[in-house]
Amino acid sequence: MRSNFTWLSDFIMGHKKSFLAAAFLAILCIPLLPQNPFYQDLLIQVFFWATLASAWNLLGGFAGQISLGHAAFFGIGAYTSTILYLTFGLSPWIGMFAGAGLSVSVALIVGLPCFRLSSHFFALATLAFAEVLRLLASYWRGLTNGGVGLLIPHQVAFKNFVFEGKLAYSYVILAMLLGIFFVSYFLKNSRLGYSLVALREDQNAAESLGVNTNRTKMISLVISVFFTSLVGTFYAQYYAFIDPDIVFTSQISIQLALLSIIGGVGTILGPIIGATFLIPLDVFLRGWLGGVFSGMNFVIYGFVLICAVRYFPYGIFGWLKMRSDKFLTKSALVFSSPGAGVPVPDANEPCRQSTRCEKPLMMVNSISKRFGGLHAVEDLSFSIHEGEILGLIGPNGAGKTTVFNLISGFITPHSGSIHFEGRDITSLGHAHRFCKQGIGRTFQIVKPFQSMTVLENIMVGGFNRVRDVEKAREEALGIVERIHLSHHAMTQSSHLTLANRKRLELGRALATRPRLLLLDEVMAGLNPKETEDIIAVIRSLPKEGITILMIEHVMKAVMALSDRVMVISSGIKIVEGLPEHITKDKRVIDAYLGEAYNATAV
Amino acid sequence: MLEIILQLVINGLLLGGIYALLSIGLTMIFGVLEIINFAHGEFLMISMYVTFFIFQALGIDPYITLVIIIPSFFLLGVLVEQVIIKPILNDPPLNQIFTTIGLGLIFQNLALLFFKADFRTVKTSYSSANIFLGELIVSIPRLIAFLLAVTIIAGLFVFLRKTFTGKAIRALAQQRRAAMLMGINVDKTYSIAFGIGIACVGAAGAILMPLFFVFPTVGSLFVLIAFVVVVLGGYNSLGGTLVAGLVIGVIEGFSGFFISPHLKEVIYFIMFIFILIFRPTGLFGRR
Repeated sequence: MRSNFTWLSDFIMGHKKSFLAAAFLAILCIPLLPQNPFYQDLLIQVFFWATLASAWNLLGGFAGQISLGHAAFFGIGAYTSTILYLTFGLSPWIGMFAGAGLSVSVALIVGLPCFRLSSHFFALATLAFAEVLRLLASYWRGLTNGGVGLLIPHQVAFKNFVFEGKLAYSYVILAMLLGIFFVSYFLKNSRLGYSLVALREDQNAAESLGVNTNRTKMISLVISVFFTSLVGTFYAQYYAFIDPDIVFTSQISIQLALLSIIGGVGTILGPIIGATFLIPLDVFLRGWLGGVFSGMNFVIYGFVLICAVRYFPYGIFGWLKMRSDKFLTKSALVFSSPGAGVPVPDANEPCRQSTRCEKPLMMVNSISKRFGGLHAVEDLSFSIHEGEILGLIGPNGAGKTTVFNLISGFITPHSGSIHFEGRDITSLGHAHRFCKQGIGRTFQIVKPFQSMTVLENIMVGGFNRVRDVEKAREEALGIVERIHLSHHAMTQSSHLTLANRKRLELGRALATRPRLLLLDEVMAGLNPKETEDIIAVIRSLPKEGITILMIEHVMKAVMALSDRVMVISSGIKIVEGLPEHITKDKRVIDAYLGEAYNATAV
Repeated sequence: MLEIILQLVINGLLLGGIYALLSIGLTMIFGVLEIINFAHGEFLMISMYVTFFIFQALGIDPYITLVIIIPSFFLLGVLVEQVIIKPILNDPPLNQIFTTIGLGLIFQNLALLFFKADFRTVKTSYSSANIFLGELIVSIPRLIAFLLAVTIIAGLFVFLRKTFTGKAIRALAQQRRAAMLMGINVDKTYSIAFGIGIACVGAAGAILMPLFFVFPTVGSLFVLIAFVVVVLGGYNSLGGTLVAGLVIGVIEGFSGFFISPHLKEVIYFIMFIFILIFRPTGLFGRR
């Protein structure tokens, strides 16, 4: 059975191009299949909703920005082309792109600030936005004819985007569907696609790996809105009638999400599968129940939606994939053991031979940060020398993590300056820019991208320097081996143990090829053997030109690894020096154990 | 002109009281459970239908119906929380958002199924009665509605300050984990908080019935106002919600008069988006 299967898949892989061409031709024949207008219309509806849901999914599924206001862009598309056509006789083919342009501009203006909101409130804001447009369209009669709506005359001509029969329409909408499908496909398998999923899973972690989360969200918004708007024009032309309550209704926005979720949110095929299953079901339900039980179909939808998110969070596609994955795990194992030629992160540094060289890599000059009345960090200055390992210790609440957040760009200091390799980076503003400069970091509370495999997690880091997916994969395989996670390369990171998550956290930061690596308690919670392993990895890094600043509570590790140790307490530097001196310093003992303890001891 | 302005303020404040009651349930749920109840409007709709049918069948005055509505909606809320909300409390936002949206869809369309899209209204002896204060007119049902709403809100405040359960709810809203460590039964407290939220919106529905008509999608009309109020009030402050409710009521009155009654919703939605964007902690929010 299995051997048959492998033979088949080998054959398909061997003739990939011909199979793709055949599949493409087969898809092009689909509109020819239905013989009567009812089924033709059904097919058009499936294509139509599949396109819209795919567009929604690009933003809501891939980037995790849940919009409940896509009807806004659908409506803008429908109204723009229709108004241009009816008033100026402009061909809807052109109007369609004018509408899409308008939608994109509106989305950029409204979307940029909205992206700062958390998921729930982003959803609310988009919902309210679509509602505003619906009300405005009803009110602004001079432009939109208000609630009466706009009727497109039936003047059959190609340039009018009006056709006899339904076949031509089905090809137009199929073209749109193929368009969004290919865009999604290429996106998913590109650097940008990895960034999208990364930011959905954890925005801060993505930023720390050099992902410009705002720009990434914007790109997915623009593509999503563009296609939504095109389909809006299609709707107007196909049904030849629009009014505000049809095209701006929140029901459209919800339906898009529903189809994506049931099909498989965040996957390329999910929304298409969702539409293929649900739209015929919907038409059937409406026909069957509609006369007597109008509204029953939505009751069923509601049930399906609640059950789907609870029991099938990955939708139909996820369920299908889970079954087929049983075959794939075998080949994945083969894939995960990489051959020789493991690339080591670039070591184009002069310091490679000597363990210590005294050139300051980073200079922090009297930075301060307050949270309300709390001085988290006050007037702190220090420098990190190229090739050294600097330990940062201090009691709980001393401000260690705040220091990390300041020098990795997550927060900006109120005063003071930070120089890295001689450049002033104090107010670069975004963490991803710090990463691009060569500052990598891990988080005390590990932040793996849960839905990604270990390898994919590391690839996100790799994309900081590499654009090519294959190259990033190759490098990631090398790093996986270094951090002793080879046998887990294809494991979904949510299934990892804490020790392995900590390793992954380190590996991901390494993949960005940092010059300075900030390690925030990478050993906390590990057993002695695991600690040994990770110490060995860290110790090898300075030889490759990676300088390290680490926060650590495991004293054994701090003493064994650090060239120098800096102690802070209440946001102030107490002392800085060689590890063996630090442990004997009275001020340090005071800070850790309290002055009272010291007094009684004396 | 001064009379007109005073009149608008009075009308706005009276309406705002109901908005506050309606929104306070949403604030309660968001503050404690950290989810947005997108089905909130549908609970309002159900309450309005219940009030309508009780009035229709038994002739019981909507305000008296409150005695039935408040406890039964509390229980309804507890039930919904246990069955539908509890399993998704630690889920990603997508699941939370679409669970309550799904719930709303079910309620809304069940109403459509049973009651059709007709508009129904309750005609009471005082429906169009007014008090005249010089030049000013105060509508009696609106005044009663306002007073009832404020009384219920005041009762809720006292409950939250004085009772153990009330304090547990507040503790949970402020610091979930610490509250757990202090031995608060989180499960039970979530249910109670959700129940109270639903009881509030239920009460708002009963109070609204003599003033407004009910139809299956009436909830979506009001829930958006409630969202605006909650955001304006700073998400998790009941006091803020009360003030914000009154403010929105007054704004609605003014924009309806000076701009256009058709655009009043546009005005506060735009306000809403601006607040979300430029002052995400709300006008009366802490921080």
